[in-house]
Amino acid sequence: MLRALFQTLFRKKRAEQELDDELAAYLEQTTAENVRRGMSPEAALQKARRDFGGMEQVKENVRAVRVGVSLDILMQDVRYAIRSLRKNPSFAAIAILTLAFGIGANTTIFSVVNGVLLKPLPYPNPDRLITLWETHPTFGQLLSVAPANFYDWRAQSTSFEKMAALDPYPDFILTGTGEPRRLAGAAVTADFFPLLGVKMALGRSFWATEDHVVVLTHSTWERYFGNRTTIVGSEVRLNDAAYTVVGVLPRDFSLVNNASDFQARTRFDVWTNLGLTSPPAAWQRATHPLYAYGRLKPGVPLEQARAELDRIADDLRRLYPDDNKDKGIIPVPLEEHAVAHVRTALFTLLAAVVMVLLIACANIANLLLTRAAARQKEMALRAALGASQKRLAQQLLTESAVLAVLGSGLGLALALWSVPALVRHLPADLPRISEILVDGRVLAFTTLMTLATGILFGLVPLVQSRGVRLNARGVSSGQSRMRSALIVGQISIALVLLAGAGLMTKSLRALLQVSPGFETAHILTARFSLPPRYANGNRFGTAAHREISAFQRELGDRVRNIPGVQSFGFASHLPLAGTNNNWSFFIEGRPPNPPGVFDSTDYRPVTAGYFEAIGIPVKRGRSFEARDDEDHPLVVIVNETMARQFWPNENPVGKRLRFGDQNWRMIVGIVGDVHHEGLGIAPAPEMYIPWGQVPNVEVRPIVVVRSIIDPASLTSALRKAVAEVDPEVPMDQIATMDQLVSGSVGESRFRSTAISLFALLALFVASIGLYGVMSHLVSQRTREFGIRMAVGATRGAVLRQVLGQGAKLAAIGVVSGLTITALLGRLIASLLYGVKPLDATTLAGVSILLAAVALLASYIPARRAANADPMNSLRYE
Amino acid sequence: MPEPELLQGTLDLLILKSLALDKMHGMGISRRISQITDGAFEVKAGSLFPALYRMEQAGWLSSEWGESDTKRRSKFYKLTRTGRGRFQAESQRWERISLAMASALRAT
Repeated sequence: MLRALFQTLFRKKRAEQELDDELAAYLEQTTAENVRRGMSPEAALQKARRDFGGMEQVKENVRAVRVGVSLDILMQDVRYAIRSLRKNPSFAAIAILTLAFGIGANTTIFSVVNGVLLKPLPYPNPDRLITLWETHPTFGQLLSVAPANFYDWRAQSTSFEKMAALDPYPDFILTGTGEPRRLAGAAVTADFFPLLGVKMALGRSFWATEDHVVVLTHSTWERYFGNRTTIVGSEVRLNDAAYTVVGVLPRDFSLVNNASDFQARTRFDVWTNLGLTSPPAAWQRATHPLYAYGRLKPGVPLEQARAELDRIADDLRRLYPDDNKDKGIIPVPLEEHAVAHVRTALFTLLAAVVMVLLIACANIANLLLTRAAARQKEMALRAALGASQKRLAQQLLTESAVLAVLGSGLGLALALWSVPALVRHLPADLPRISEILVDGRVLAFTTLMTLATGILFGLVPLVQSRGVRLNARGVSSGQSRMRSALIVGQISIALVLLAGAGLMTKSLRALLQVSPGFETAHILTARFSLPPRYANGNRFGTAAHREISAFQRELGDRVRNIPGVQSFGFASHLPLAGTNNNWSFFIEGRPPNPPGVFDSTDYRPVTAGYFEAIGIPVKRGRSFEARDDEDHPLVVIVNETMARQFWPNENPVGKRLRFGDQNWRMIVGIVGDVHHEGLGIAPAPEMYIPWGQVPNVEVRPIVVVRSIIDPASLTSALRKAVAEVDPEVPMDQIATMDQLVSGSVGESRFRSTAISLFALLALFVASIGLYGVMSHLVSQRTREFGIRMAVGATRGAVLRQVLGQGAKLAAIGVVSGLTITALLGRLIASLLYGVKPLDATTLAGVSILLAAVALLASYIPARRAANADPMNSLRYE
Repeated sequence: MPEPELLQGTLDLLILKSLALDKMHGMGISRRISQITDGAFEVKAGSLFPALYRMEQAGWLSSEWGESDTKRRSKFYKLTRTGRGRFQAESQRWERISLAMASALRAT
């Protein structure tokens, strides 16, 4: 019947041809017959045509029958299936709900995988978009790029249609639209938007030679300029200078990037022109602020571009050994780069949720088997009445299909509800969150899943029914073998999931147990953006530099007086919140390094009070004090790793070093290591410099306040204090340190929560399955148990026998599950911190848990068997 | 001769009957029905082919292409196992009905 329908729908052309042939033959044969009866050929043909009736009408009638019968039989089967499901509502409900959860969870996770990993990037020809990075054997891969190097790459390469660069640092204070606002800016070369293929919603992108022009993101335009279309061509005030707005980006524009790009900045509000139209100065080869992009020419393979970039890197190494020694260039497709850090995690989640669905399918197959056993009489009767094996199979399959469709429909509804809910709770470092939705591709996936599950659990009873001939007791050993195999499969998959969940949870716990190197409780942090009069003079010792110190001092005096405040300080960057500034340095009294080899370290400008406020312990020497300012001797504090690495057998306190500015600075203390890059990443050598003595200051001081009361309650007092010192200074990114630490493990937490959820679901479904099978087996053997007990078997013996059977299935399942886990373990090794993929405690723990649940699931039916009255069970049949 | 109104199911039964002995093509079936009913029923193409297609899809008939006695490529129909069972059940039913009808009409 399905084939007939298929033929009707898809092989229409062939069927039509056959019909034509058949009818033509008929007409010919009728004509021949008439001739044989003595008519002339003309009269014979005429009569044949007349008798035939209208050719088209005949065909039309046949066509109607063809479609009608197929649909008719289908509808008949569907009605039959629905009727038989309604006769057994608890079976139908369990099957449909199990499936709905399975399909719903799969659709939801697939929506995420689809939005983040599978959908093409939201730009034209996204496969030609490449990110370009500098590499260095010791500094690492994927290093941001020096402007002068970028300029040479762009000038010399021929593989790329366009190359553009982005500088994620500029910060702007927008004035003239009410309260001053801090806007995150990016400076990009003029080719940046054309390279991505972005069409402006309003106006245009800037030209290479334009200065003081700005492109607004859609949300900036909406929020601060009230969607005025006249904005293009008008002037706005950024950092006290006039900028002309040339364009507004479309609403759906998003810059797809890896969470670790752009110094952890997540969005840009305004875009200015980076320029780079003429060769940059020599020092621009030693600073590396840029993120570089290229669009390959059509038809140019990545390997060709890579080879060309290698040649360019070779030249640059030769020409500029001081800055480019050992430096290489690597191209990474944007599609790959943006999701590199989440790919494994997401595919792991998808695999986990597919496993849950497999367990659910096995359960439904088991239910269907039970039903098939119960319906053997019905089937035998129908077969005796002339229904063919094929017809019966069709009916069983239709029943499975009806279950699958109902379950999936419900599952899809669940997914439509859960996808937006999930999107709100996804960790922030997941790229492309805005692209996660139930779209055509997701629907196609769900449809496929529906078909696959329907066939999967529909085929099991079918395969079974071929082997089973009607026998007196209704159960063949083949059937219980099939059930046992399904249960073993379920248990082993459940074990794999539980092991995964156990490992990830343990990994998260290990991560959270890492001592971050500072204290997290009772600390409030907030960021300030200083207007240009502070920012412009960022050279050591200038008047503006003193202004910053003065602002910090004045704010400090007020913050100190807020009730509840214990200590406070400023820093340029917070722990766990992105990258640092990196400087090379030279230690007094050591032989100079060969050219191109640097001792370098991250450095952080901080003020006196910072270490105390955030709770970084001073291990040796002293902390910074108020007197460590512009007018006093230059000092630095190093962390323990730096002390160990550069002064392995000496006490660094009292030693001197210098940066590029040639001023000697004395080490006055050693402080504890801090996990600045993330809890799972080992601390690097680091140096702290008093804010007033920093050679090139970053102008975004972050205040750290330690209080004896709830830190969040200090926000308004802090805001008031800032307004008193300088009403033009915006304050944002207010968060407690606890929140920041928790946020830093967001992805890991999400992953372990999701997997644990799936594993629990799997455990639940699998134990229900085991319970069902054991109950069924027990009920089948009631009579046997009755006889045994009647001839003297104790209840204990029966209990042990049933339990033993369950335990055997569980044991086989656990062992095969452990084997699969051992095989799959290394695939998730990269997702784990502080725990091996084959962690013995975890694997033993989940095995015991699973075995215990399995035994419990068998115990209930076993007790029922043991407690049955032997006389009753003998009378039962 | 005008085609008498066929009772519902009569055409199906006649087709089953004509195919009971051997496979046949459409024209053959129509000729055979005419023969066995002594020309009482002349089945026209407009009724015959829809019925053949319907019965084939119901699984009573199967079909294959072959050569007719006049060497013309034609589609031959034959009874399936189901069709044979159907034919027996239908003819029994028909006999019961016609007996019942006959005795009903004879009753006074």
